Amino acid sequence: METEELKTLSVNKSVDARGTACPGPLLEAKKAIGGLGSGETMEVLSADEGTRVDIPKWCKKQGHEYLGTLEENGYFRIFLKKV
Amino acid sequence: MAKMTIGLSSGSIDKLTGAGVMMVGAAADDYEIEVYVLLTAARAFVKGNEGLTDSFVEYPEQKEEMLSKLKELNTPSWLEFFEQAKEFTDVKFYICSLAGKLWGGEKMEDFIDIVDGICGIGQYLDAAKEADIHISI
Repeated sequence: METEELKTLSVNKSVDARGTACPGPLLEAKKAIGGLGSGETMEVLSADEGTRVDIPKWCKKQGHEYLGTLEENGYFRIFLKKV
Repeated sequence: MAKMTIGLSSGSIDKLTGAGVMMVGAAADDYEIEVYVLLTAARAFVKGNEGLTDSFVEYPEQKEEMLSKLKELNTPSWLEFFEQAKEFTDVKFYICSLAGKLWGGEKMEDFIDIVDGICGIGQYLDAAKEADIHISI
């Protein structure tokens, strides 16, 4: 998705994992996605650079759709859709 | 389901923590994990030893700095990592019978609750042969 679309995307769930380092945010994403229905969206907030790389790869392996990442002040918003 | 086998020979906190990080990453990817606890690593799995931080084999001069930084980064302990992995995927911990005896553990009740069994080296070698990923730490 384009940056402007991500900025206005209303997600079904937001996971704030800014208090944990790798692999904490990945595990938080794994925990949270179980509560989503197919087609629903989620954002993961993380200040961890490794997570920015890991979550798109994880989405691909798990069959979920990675929508994109927004860089905020000191953290990332990583968007995905459960397939 | 893909399978990861870990031969865990070191009971050093830095190595145990590294193994925990890998296990949690593999759990997020739904790997089936088998951990074979060998030699010095078995010491950490004997009941009462799980909180010890005296073993820090690699770069011991950096022990205090690393432990302090791990705390600052809100990083789980090695045991918490292992428990998290076990919560999300099929993780089995097997203690090598020789390694257990080295540290006074001969029966299941001698070890912490996450341990699933006591094994011989043949079981580990078979698991390593069958695994998609085999890591020796």
